[in-house]
Amino acid sequence: MLRLEAMSCGYGPFSAVAELTLQVAEGSVFALIGANGAGKSSTIMAIAGHVDLHGGSITFDGRNLSGVPARQRVRAGMGLVPEGRRLFSDLTVDENLTIGGYCRAAERTPENRARVLDLFPRLKERLDQAAGSLSGGEQQMLAMGRALMTEPRLLMIDEVSLGLMPKMVDVCYDVIRRLKDRGITILVVEQNTSRALEVADHVCVLESGRQVWQGTAAEARADSGLVEAYLGLAEAQ
Amino acid sequence: MLAFELFMQGLVQGSIYALIAVGLTLVYGLLRILHVAHAGLFTLGGYIGVLVTNATGSLALALLTAMIAVGFVGMALYRFCYQPILDRPPYVALIASIGLFIAMEEIFRIIFGPYGLSYTAPPLQAPIILLGMNLKAAEILTMVGALILIGGLGVLAGRTRTGIAWRATVKDPQMAESFGIDIVKVRYLNFFIGSALAAAAGVMVALLNNLVEPTMGSVPSYKALAIIVLGGLGNVRGTLIASLALGVIESFGTIYLGFLLDRDAIAFAFLILVLMIRPQGLVGRSNG
Repeated sequence: MLRLEAMSCGYGPFSAVAELTLQVAEGSVFALIGANGAGKSSTIMAIAGHVDLHGGSITFDGRNLSGVPARQRVRAGMGLVPEGRRLFSDLTVDENLTIGGYCRAAERTPENRARVLDLFPRLKERLDQAAGSLSGGEQQMLAMGRALMTEPRLLMIDEVSLGLMPKMVDVCYDVIRRLKDRGITILVVEQNTSRALEVADHVCVLESGRQVWQGTAAEARADSGLVEAYLGLAEAQ
Repeated sequence: MLAFELFMQGLVQGSIYALIAVGLTLVYGLLRILHVAHAGLFTLGGYIGVLVTNATGSLALALLTAMIAVGFVGMALYRFCYQPILDRPPYVALIASIGLFIAMEEIFRIIFGPYGLSYTAPPLQAPIILLGMNLKAAEILTMVGALILIGGLGVLAGRTRTGIAWRATVKDPQMAESFGIDIVKVRYLNFFIGSALAAAAGVMVALLNNLVEPTMGSVPSYKALAIIVLGGLGNVRGTLIASLALGVIESFGTIYLGFLLDRDAIAFAFLILVLMIRPQGLVGRSNG
């Protein structure tokens, strides 16, 4: 479904990721892991169309995304939950969901909203509340709900667990499992490696903008060197 | 009774300021540009209002024509003057805007002459007794018109998908684009609406003063800039409060402080005083 071929990206003249190659199969969960500054978020933002491509290619459903603006990528089926959630804090929960559904016909918004509220019932009580006034966990739910309003076939989630209480992290990962069961392909970026490995089918480890390991989640768990270098590090955090 | 009459006069003036300043704050909120040339669009609206009314006898048609035509001129200003320099530091756009405003004043002088234009048969000058006060129909139209236009803007921003998308773009353009919003179209819409509101203000001022002249935008431009600072830059609600407050203060000040300061001096003294006490503006939060 998604293929990165020797993809390099960065900000102006500065390189963030160099020659990354990976393939995300339809219906799978793919985890990008690595320490802070490894280039995980830059990779997701490059796929979403917000970071300059310096080389290589990104293809989605066989279509090369070079020069395709971000607003067309979301219409093609790529939903984004960015790092820090970046909600429209002055807008209400309901308005944030409306924005999520902006790329689809207005008639579809009520149906999609109902589906999101079914997934995150807590948001139902907060519909008229400003997004900025929600707790961290509720904001993460809203960020995921807003992305789901785009009817994504590929959902990209940057730092699912960052800054959340363990109970909220459980809720978010439970939703990821349910979305996977519905056939949505998920690309998740995590520093909390052990949580990512619980749901991932495939894993790619990044370090200083370069790919250092790639394989299945089972292989990752079985690789003692990898566990020591990355999984152990994440658990210590 | 005098106090109530002054209050109403202040609201009339405040409504004009609101129509001008809301457009300015919309542009600032979206692009972080201090769009000084906005006052030139206000003047252009006044000219179109007088010319169309004199030609057709219909003030409603003149108002509509001015709003639509000036809305498109505003979009053209964005396309040809601001869009090419958006990636430059903000002072570049500010200097361009000041230059544009001066050029527009000179163009008005060349085309329409230096002495201004008036209505051949000024409309809505009949006095109307309202709550015991003697008001001109034009003054009532100004207040009601401003209320309808700004109320309409409120409905657009709060109740429609386009309006919600507009507010989202102001907050975070990159994220807005991530959800399929065409931020370039939002910018054009922003300039159209802001410029159309300024044009409506121009038509109403021309109606109240029965005069349009090339420099009629000068003082409103300074005041509108001060108002949007007072309202908390980019904050529409704050701008409305600041506009009406300034209109009312000016109205009372002219009577009670008129022996000391003229109308504009009173307005700026008020603005300086408020900003000394609340530099974050009337409704902004302090960063301190």
